Amino acid sequence: MQKATSSQPIRHSLRPFQWLQPHWGKLVQRQELILIVLLLICTLALGLGTDTFLSSSNLLNIGVYASWFGIAALGAGLVIMVGGIDLSVASVMALAGLVCALALQVGVSLIAAIGLGLLCGACVGLLNGVLVSQFGLPPFIVTLGSMGLARGITLALTSGAPVRDLPPQFRALGQGEFNLAGIGLAFPICWMLLIACVVSFILHQTVLGRYIYTVGTDERALKIVGVPTGYVKLITYCLSGILAAFGGILMTAKLGVAAPTAAIAYELDIIAAAVIGGASLFGGEGSVSGIILGTILMMIARNGLVLLGLPTYLQWLTIGAMILVVILLDFWRRRQV
Amino acid sequence: MEAVLRCINLSKYFGTLPALRQIDFQIKAGEVVGLTGRSGSGKTALVNILSGIEQPSEGDLYIAGQRMHWPFSARRHNISVINQQPILAERLDITTNIFLGNEIGWPSNASWLRIPNRRRMDQQATEVLAQLGAHFSDLRQQANNLSSEERQLVSIARALLHPAKLIIIDEPTQQLSYTYQQRLLTLIRLWQQQGAAILFSSNNLDHLFAVCDRIVVLRQGRSVADMQVDAVGREEVVAALVGTKDREQITPIMWALESYYRAREQTEQLGQRQEMLEQNLVAHDSLTNQLIEQLAIQISALDSANLALQNAQRRLLTEREQERKSLARELHDQVIQDMLGVNYQLEEIEAEVDQQNVAENLADVRHSIRGLVEDLRRICGNLRPPTIDSLGLGPALLSYSRDWSARSGIQVELNLDSQLARLPEALELSIFRIVQEGLNNVRKHAHASKVRIELRHNSPRSLMISIADNGRGMPNDFDLASLANKGHYGLLGISERVALLEGRLHVQNLSSGGLLIQVELPHPRVNIDSEPTSQQQA
Repeated sequence: MQKATSSQPIRHSLRPFQWLQPHWGKLVQRQELILIVLLLICTLALGLGTDTFLSSSNLLNIGVYASWFGIAALGAGLVIMVGGIDLSVASVMALAGLVCALALQVGVSLIAAIGLGLLCGACVGLLNGVLVSQFGLPPFIVTLGSMGLARGITLALTSGAPVRDLPPQFRALGQGEFNLAGIGLAFPICWMLLIACVVSFILHQTVLGRYIYTVGTDERALKIVGVPTGYVKLITYCLSGILAAFGGILMTAKLGVAAPTAAIAYELDIIAAAVIGGASLFGGEGSVSGIILGTILMMIARNGLVLLGLPTYLQWLTIGAMILVVILLDFWRRRQV
Repeated sequence: MEAVLRCINLSKYFGTLPALRQIDFQIKAGEVVGLTGRSGSGKTALVNILSGIEQPSEGDLYIAGQRMHWPFSARRHNISVINQQPILAERLDITTNIFLGNEIGWPSNASWLRIPNRRRMDQQATEVLAQLGAHFSDLRQQANNLSSEERQLVSIARALLHPAKLIIIDEPTQQLSYTYQQRLLTLIRLWQQQGAAILFSSNNLDHLFAVCDRIVVLRQGRSVADMQVDAVGREEVVAALVGTKDREQITPIMWALESYYRAREQTEQLGQRQEMLEQNLVAHDSLTNQLIEQLAIQISALDSANLALQNAQRRLLTEREQERKSLARELHDQVIQDMLGVNYQLEEIEAEVDQQNVAENLADVRHSIRGLVEDLRRICGNLRPPTIDSLGLGPALLSYSRDWSARSGIQVELNLDSQLARLPEALELSIFRIVQEGLNNVRKHAHASKVRIELRHNSPRSLMISIADNGRGMPNDFDLASLANKGHYGLLGISERVALLEGRLHVQNLSSGGLLIQVELPHPRVNIDSEPTSQQQA
């Protein structure tokens, strides 16, 4: 006995992270851990590899771009959690931004214009939701169709011409700053954080959040207790449309111009960010913090590759490889757990 | 009274294969209707249609007078369904599964944006499960970690929590043990008393006859009988199940059915008994372990007491030897010298006395005094061998054995190891006492004519003392305790001395007659050469 007690301190000193062992399983279980490690590696590599990456203006740019991407990715992530997919998010971003800009041009008030933009997103989401949940159509096909539809409407509204000269109050929505203890925090980042909190609250604290997770894995169990799972899906598609629309409005406000060709091919980045963030394509899994971290990782990668001066095809190749690696890591992690 | 459930011509086809054909029956409030049929008779298909999961190919269903359109949510029409295979949300815990779709929370009118109140839900879930006699150590366990019986209990708890006007129970007893089956039957009676309409699908005739008012029998998708339980016997139900009234065919099936369920119940009871037995065994094991621990403690205490006793005895022996030594010295140096002095005085007086008779008397007294002195010297020798301190163990033994032989008339053969060196005083005295005690035994009990004493080194650190006689030996069944009871303490004294010296005692009857006492004693290291032992004859 004496031997055992005397050898214990030595064991402690040899294994300084022993206290972590009971929590290790939970830590490894979280996709966020992998993302934080990857973020640190990317930041370190790009900080050493480029002169401008760690500059405050570049970091602010990444944050601002990540904000509307992140807001749209949250919506796309919700749809993925219920076992669906929403390819129309990028088109909705462009449509909502353009509708909002057009409304402002014809003299509609700021609030009403934003409301109109959000309504467009909600309508596309509703259309997707109805077709998927009530008619049982495959979400991939439905949202592929609505993606084209929304993009077509966007192009038709101005015959392809961008809308400029937006009112300063509207531009302030994307270009303004919120002063937090002497640090200027761009409005889009504040909006993203606020929306992330709201979505996180809905997902983790409310009955709806529980249903969203459960629809993805045990839809039949919900049906048998009388929960209209079709409505749960409908709500998530609508939320996805509204969040994408809000992201599009923020993007338009920041850029100061509503282009019908805006956000083209963003849908892949947005969905990839959600999946990298831990939203399982099989449904039932994902978290708000993971999706935000996934978005930031995507933005850092895109920005870093541009700063490194890599040709476009290499940028695509790297992003594609990164998505595959993260998904493989996620697969490995799930198997380990 | 309006029927709670009314089926009109319900039919279901899978492709061209008919699963159900024109099912017609109804259930009123407070009525329990049993549904039975052999495997493949369409029971589960009917239950699925009535639960709103499957749409019939033909026919209508009315719940509380309202015509139903498929798919419909059973819960929303106040129907509770307990399925054969409970359908639970695998990643949600027990409480959440019980309350799924009916979460208690704040604000109560916020519907899906309600924040569930975990504490209240846990409390109510515990109460509901307690009604079933089920106890879960952790209500946070995920459903995918539960056994099939536990899953069924969660499913029943869900039905119990939300009283419904129609309860559809589809073969739930398959997953339940005997005790829970009986509890479910009690629950069915309770729901019936509360006015619920119950459809109880089962193949267990005992269960059906125990709780049902009517039994609907399905065969090959058709409803072939709708019987009042009070008016029919098991034979009629089985006849409807198999489609014949031939007793030769019905009897074996009834027998098989009853045997099967009896066997299942007995298996359950046996399982419970086994479980109890295992629990008892565990309890016994625990008790035995406690007893062993107590015993070990007591043995340890006894060891300590024994050790203390040995130390006390060792001290006692040492002190006794010291006392003997001082007494012997006192006698020798004082009493004997005084007596010798008196003897000289008497001798002088004798020389001066003229009277013949007085001189003779004085000579007798002097002779007596000399005898007394001799006796005292012998006593001194017994108390403390005079030679042991000055010359050592060997000469002391030699002197004693000669003296003993002379007194007892028994021949003594003493073999001493030629390398017998001086040993510690206590050890030498103990060996002397052992030999002394051994010889006393021979004189008192052995009726021997010859004794052989041998002292030799087994090893540089041990000495073997053997005392062998040619007497009558010991009774075959002797033991030290019985000898002590008879007042013979000689061998016991030897054994105690040997034990104190951490040696070994061996006593045995010799095949040639007589007794052999062997004592092996450890002692400090001495040098031994391989020289022959010296031999003395007394």
